[in-house]
Amino acid sequence: MMSHYQSEALKILLSAIVRQNVTPEVWNWLNDKVSQTDGSRQFNIAFVSVPRKTGKSLIGVTEEQESALRKEGAGLTIASWTIDRLCRVWLLAMLNSADKARYFQTIENLFLTAEVGELVALYSALPVLAYPEMWSKRCAEGVRSNIGAALEAIMCNNPYPAAYLNEQAWNQLVLKAFFTEKPVEQIIGLDERANPDLAKTLSDYAHERWAAKRPVNPQIWRCTGKFINADIFPDIERLASSEHDFEREAAALACSDSHYPPAQELLNKMPGIKSSITSGELNWNILAEKIKNHVLQ
Amino acid sequence: MCCSNNITEKGLQPGTPDKSYLDRIKGMQFFDPHIHMSSRTTDDYEAMADAGIVAVIEPAFWLGQPRTGIDTFRDYYSSLIGWERFRSSQFGIKHYCTIGLNSREANNEALAEQVMEILPLFVYKEGVVGVGEIGFDDQTPAEEKYYRLQLGLAKEAGLPVQIHTPHRDKKRGTTRSMDIALEHGLDPAMVIVDHNNEETMKEVLDRGFWAAFTIYPFTKMGNERMAGIVKQYGTERIMINSAADWGISDPLAVPKTAALMKDMGISDADIRMVTYQNAITAFAQSGQIDESDFTTVKNIDQSLKFSGNTILRGGQQLRTDKSSIIIR
Repeated sequence: MMSHYQSEALKILLSAIVRQNVTPEVWNWLNDKVSQTDGSRQFNIAFVSVPRKTGKSLIGVTEEQESALRKEGAGLTIASWTIDRLCRVWLLAMLNSADKARYFQTIENLFLTAEVGELVALYSALPVLAYPEMWSKRCAEGVRSNIGAALEAIMCNNPYPAAYLNEQAWNQLVLKAFFTEKPVEQIIGLDERANPDLAKTLSDYAHERWAAKRPVNPQIWRCTGKFINADIFPDIERLASSEHDFEREAAALACSDSHYPPAQELLNKMPGIKSSITSGELNWNILAEKIKNHVLQ
Repeated sequence: MCCSNNITEKGLQPGTPDKSYLDRIKGMQFFDPHIHMSSRTTDDYEAMADAGIVAVIEPAFWLGQPRTGIDTFRDYYSSLIGWERFRSSQFGIKHYCTIGLNSREANNEALAEQVMEILPLFVYKEGVVGVGEIGFDDQTPAEEKYYRLQLGLAKEAGLPVQIHTPHRDKKRGTTRSMDIALEHGLDPAMVIVDHNNEETMKEVLDRGFWAAFTIYPFTKMGNERMAGIVKQYGTERIMINSAADWGISDPLAVPKTAALMKDMGISDADIRMVTYQNAITAFAQSGQIDESDFTTVKNIDQSLKFSGNTILRGGQQLRTDKSSIIIR
């Protein structure tokens, strides 16, 4: 599906970023490890011992590199990565994949014995692994994890799930992201992969939260706007009459995504918000940012 | 691990919790270098964090009944470096572990062979600060065989060794454990001999090993005795742990002992050595302990608000009011 996975340009970019973030000794050590041809044992040891060589500080990436990465890596964002995570992902990207069965087994074994930092790196590497369709089950399994950092590595700024998870697994990912209070605006493909089944599930989820008198993240309605129907519309009406600005804005945004006539009418009853949507002052990403800033106050 | 003790009517009565000791150790930081958190609840994690415990070491051990296959060993080791590490971080406590085949299960030789094959996959992992807990239980030939093999592994990996000394025939078992470690060329400064008492400690210290003391009701050390030892022998190469597990044990044994030592006139500096610093010095020889990580794991902002409700970042767990009968 995506020809730029495992592209040479992406590897060259990653290599440049690794190189500028490690000492020459570590760079040589890494290259030595990927050039070993005796297979998985050396590779395992290298993968496990990366933090001992590199430390764990945050990496530096230039703006140009970031935007080139987003382009080559279908949205891949690494600015918040630590150096050990980057180097592990790089090792995986460089691993010889000529023998498909062996390649699969080597990486699968790393998953089976991974500690938390290794899990984060492994899931972060999904977009740069060869035979991308081969990892969709592993990715879906990762969504079942309860380890927060592993979930974030899959859900946030990772282009793999949107490209390769089937609808059922994708819907689990989105629902679990809301459930575990992850920054859902960082899910790549959140809007594009919205679907009627997910909309129904999220509406049910909102009802459960309301019944329990627990707050509902307004971004839930981001995945439902296109599928507003007679079932979901009452939820949006409820939201539109909320005392919270964010919820009314979310209601208006959901309506603006919808062709359902009552939703259009409802939007017309919120002229102020409607005009900021038309002018581009308000969209889902801006709302997400506003919520985040409010939370941080 | 629990054993039988004499039951009296008084011994069966519930106690009333007195938490006033927490005031006396306020601001102190503790490191419990031996505790089996997989057997403990989240309430324990909360109480430990409240009492000032900032980091723990969870040695691999016996689960109370024997495992029957290699996969359960693998999953157990994985849980020590994965799930339990995460669970601990939710309460702001840095979690390390030691990995090894415990002495009881070394007696199942067919399985022990398979365990030895997978141990190298785990001992090099980040946050693995030693090979442990290994040593003798019944002191059988099979126990000796796998003890020796694991000493070799520790030496190869450059890791400290955490030695479990036996409950029965303890003194001879302790001497024998040290003899064998020296025979394998291990530096005693890399070996932590655990579960000491007044009878074993002198030889352990005289031979240059670290002496760990487990404060564990009924079967191991009591903390009044412990405070007496520190008063008499000082703090050099001495450390205190709880070894809390699935038996009647106390995950707050280290902070409680600190409070008691304070009451008995032991200086803060000495308390710090035996409840924090010495354990770090010993296990940091693995290259896997960075004290700044203790603060990183604590840097979990609980003040974030969303729609008037606190939300969590970095997986920190919300606190519940345990005294309320209302559960929301």
